[in-house]
Amino acid sequence: MLWVDKYRPKTLDQITVHQDVAQNLKKLVNEQDCPHLLFYGPSGSGKKTLVMALIRQMFGPSADKVKVENKTWKVDAGTRTIDIELTTLSSANHVELTPSDAGFQDRYIVQEIIKEMAKNRPIDSKGKRGHKVLVLNDVDKLSREAQHSLRRTMEKYSSYCRLILCCNSSSRVTEAIRSRCLNVRINGPTEEQIFKVLEYIGKKEGLQLPSGFASRIAEKSNRSLRRAILSFETCRVQQYPFVSNQAIPPMDWEEYITEIASEIMKEQSPKRLFQVRGKLYELLVNCIPPEIILKRLLYELLKKLDAELKHEVCHWAAYYEHRMRLGQKAIFHIEAFVAKFMSIYKTFLISTFG
Amino acid sequence: MTKKENNPGLLSSDEEYCGGRSSSSKRRYRKTKSQSPLPRKSTRQAKKARLLGSRSCLQKDSRNVDEFNSFCEDFDQVFSTFKVSAGSGSVCRNELWIDKYRPHSLEELAVQKKKVDEVKVWFEDRLRTPMDANGSNVILITGPAGVGKSATVHVIASHLGARLCEWDTPTPVIWREHLHNLTAGIQYTSKLDEFESFIGRMRKYGVIPSCFSIDSKQPVILLIDDLPLTNGKAALRRLQSCLHLYVQSTQVPTAIVITDCAKAETTDFTVQYLEEIQLCLENAGACKVAFNPITNNSIKKTISRICSCEQYDLAVEQIDAIAKSSGGDVRHAIMSLQLFCLKPSQICSSSSSAQESLKDEEMPHTLVDDRFSFQFGRDETLSLFHALGKFLHNKRHSVNELVLDSEFSVQESLLRRPLNMDPPEKVLCQAHGQARPIADFLHENVLDFMNEEAIDDAWVVASYLGDADTLLSSYDGMLARHNDAENILHLAAASVAVRGVLFGNSHPLSSRWHAIRRPKLWQIEGSSLSNKKMVKQRFVPYGGISLAHFSVVATEYVPALKWLGNSVSEDHEKLWALTEENTGFDMVISGDQESHTSEEEIEDW
Repeated sequence: MLWVDKYRPKTLDQITVHQDVAQNLKKLVNEQDCPHLLFYGPSGSGKKTLVMALIRQMFGPSADKVKVENKTWKVDAGTRTIDIELTTLSSANHVELTPSDAGFQDRYIVQEIIKEMAKNRPIDSKGKRGHKVLVLNDVDKLSREAQHSLRRTMEKYSSYCRLILCCNSSSRVTEAIRSRCLNVRINGPTEEQIFKVLEYIGKKEGLQLPSGFASRIAEKSNRSLRRAILSFETCRVQQYPFVSNQAIPPMDWEEYITEIASEIMKEQSPKRLFQVRGKLYELLVNCIPPEIILKRLLYELLKKLDAELKHEVCHWAAYYEHRMRLGQKAIFHIEAFVAKFMSIYKTFLISTFG
Repeated sequence: MTKKENNPGLLSSDEEYCGGRSSSSKRRYRKTKSQSPLPRKSTRQAKKARLLGSRSCLQKDSRNVDEFNSFCEDFDQVFSTFKVSAGSGSVCRNELWIDKYRPHSLEELAVQKKKVDEVKVWFEDRLRTPMDANGSNVILITGPAGVGKSATVHVIASHLGARLCEWDTPTPVIWREHLHNLTAGIQYTSKLDEFESFIGRMRKYGVIPSCFSIDSKQPVILLIDDLPLTNGKAALRRLQSCLHLYVQSTQVPTAIVITDCAKAETTDFTVQYLEEIQLCLENAGACKVAFNPITNNSIKKTISRICSCEQYDLAVEQIDAIAKSSGGDVRHAIMSLQLFCLKPSQICSSSSSAQESLKDEEMPHTLVDDRFSFQFGRDETLSLFHALGKFLHNKRHSVNELVLDSEFSVQESLLRRPLNMDPPEKVLCQAHGQARPIADFLHENVLDFMNEEAIDDAWVVASYLGDADTLLSSYDGMLARHNDAENILHLAAASVAVRGVLFGNSHPLSSRWHAIRRPKLWQIEGSSLSNKKMVKQRFVPYGGISLAHFSVVATEYVPALKWLGNSVSEDHEKLWALTEENTGFDMVISGDQESHTSEEEIEDW
């Protein structure tokens, strides 16, 4: 098992990073009925860990017994029936799924599953009808329609089930949903906190940590705890005992993007653009999400860029990121951004150096 | 040179016609018929026979083809005399030339010699050692319409002295007919069912020698001409499995003829079906021979042969034009020839009967203009590659032809010289270009056609292509497929993509040879999708208690596991296998680049 999973806190009490949030949630669950919840925060901040611990707090250890299902939902949409395939993870008391995987058919998923859950409610020990918990990931990636129908179902079935929504940014979740949920913001852990977690893991694993090594990992992790633990484990595999100036292996795709960026800086021509396209294709084949590619590419380009161009380049990156969301084929838009950058940069070079 | 043996059908309809008109002709006709030893059955009869199970299929004695033809001519004479006596025959004309001049010998075939030999050798092999276990007994012949696929099989069969049994695709039952049948108590069977049971019988019992066969020792060739059209995946699978079984177990040498359409131009589902079936047949072990469109020269040869037989004198350039307009389709060329010859026939035909019948025809009067007009050619279509070439090469008039519009002035930098082609939308229309593939092709290839220095142009083009993509996706899946709004959207997107490329590429390279590649994007999308599936299956439930975000898995878990791979714990083993596949895939991709470039060479127009 990876360390990320091995040292994931199982209960609300074990949680160290967001201790205050965890304690509040515990009180909430113990004292009264839990409202709908919306967790939001950057990736690697511990949203999922909190949610899992919360569910465990609600239902006890039975929540750990989960099964993964690849289920096909038959949805009757007016004139025709649609088959939607989706992976769900469920225990007796909760169901977790990522509705945005269903693409533009996500709205059916939300309705259908909630209806189904409402049909078979679990009965608790006192013979009282309990409620199920539905965990929805990536709510911010849901379409407008889906969010709208989610709102309706939330109202209609609120006595049957509780929703726990997870997303990175609450700004893409409609007001209507936000106001119906208790919003919980989960900040990215500070470097200090990451450092502590790494030290804790090191102690448990019986490792010698040279001074400054853990803080370097924490620094490089970009405030993502998952990232930090993963790279910590990789370092352990690469070289042990640790040396204080040991290189922390970067993610291969990030290195690849760095390479692309330096190629873009070196030459600006249609031919080079074509080569860049080939490399972008390779990233896409390996399932790196295009938004992340664009973001990272911008980050790498900005590092080497003259200050006066930064504003313009950022503007165009934002522009093409938007177009990419509107469009269908990401490569068209990433490439347009690269071409625009090349064009700007070349003009700049000519005007400065003649 | 026709695809099917049309004579029986033609004659039988004539028979009905004549029967209705005059009893004298009927009598005469009957007489001829009774003299002929030829077994003739209409397809309909054959179908009934099949249903009853008494006879396996329509049978024709290939050796008798010549006799048959002479009989036809015989009949024609009789018939035309009848027409003269009746005085008003405007519908019944001489036989169609495509039937009259169907090839009877290998020499007359316009098909490429090599292909014919290939098929011939194959049949010879099978007929010599019919019980041979090596390889299957099925040959698959594909090619565009009218290149003589069926004719080749017919001619070879008669050349080898084999009896040809034929499955023709049955005509669909129309609704009224079905209702009529219902009252008459005839059960409806689907065409696929009919075909399946036919194939099943052929597989089990082979060809049952029927009463018509003169010599039961004579070898038999089965010709399956056009498979039944399937609708839906389930039907397709049924057809595939039935064919697969047949290919593997049949004892009768069989030719399956499939007419294929151009792949790149249509995204029709039927095309995909046909391709799948072809693939399935090949997998089952069928030998495949693909016929190409017939070259202009052999079409010209065929036309001149017919001209000399009919004693028409056509100019070389007229023959040339007919051959060119046919697009490699001999049947079409001969039909155009016959139509074209209607006009000269007024002058040079000597037969009085022909003249008389022509008087009543209205067709020639519409062809009065002296100029060699071309109303009968196949619709001029451009291939997708031709159209793409036009757009990518971006040919424009030279500067001095530029007409400056004074009242509508544009900035210098936005000025472009006029296009040296039809309006792009028209070209698109001719090429039947669909917006999505057009945009993908342009995106893949446009950078090759740009000046080394012109990165600004590259940006403009990329930006327009992005616009086209946005247009294409805006209502994707929300509207019904054939919605007008979506159609317009697609047209607009195609127009934006094409015009964007034409406008943006303001410094095109001087024309030279270029390869047009198939969009690599399609391949990328396919493999990224399958990778995604794989990653999802193996990773997402990973950790056991929670679904991980997919992007997180792809960007963090996978790379980390690549590093961790060296210390494979049993738990990671499968994950490592996956990452290995991934890296292997990278190499495959980069290796593929070279092989794809030479796929389609196009000339500079």
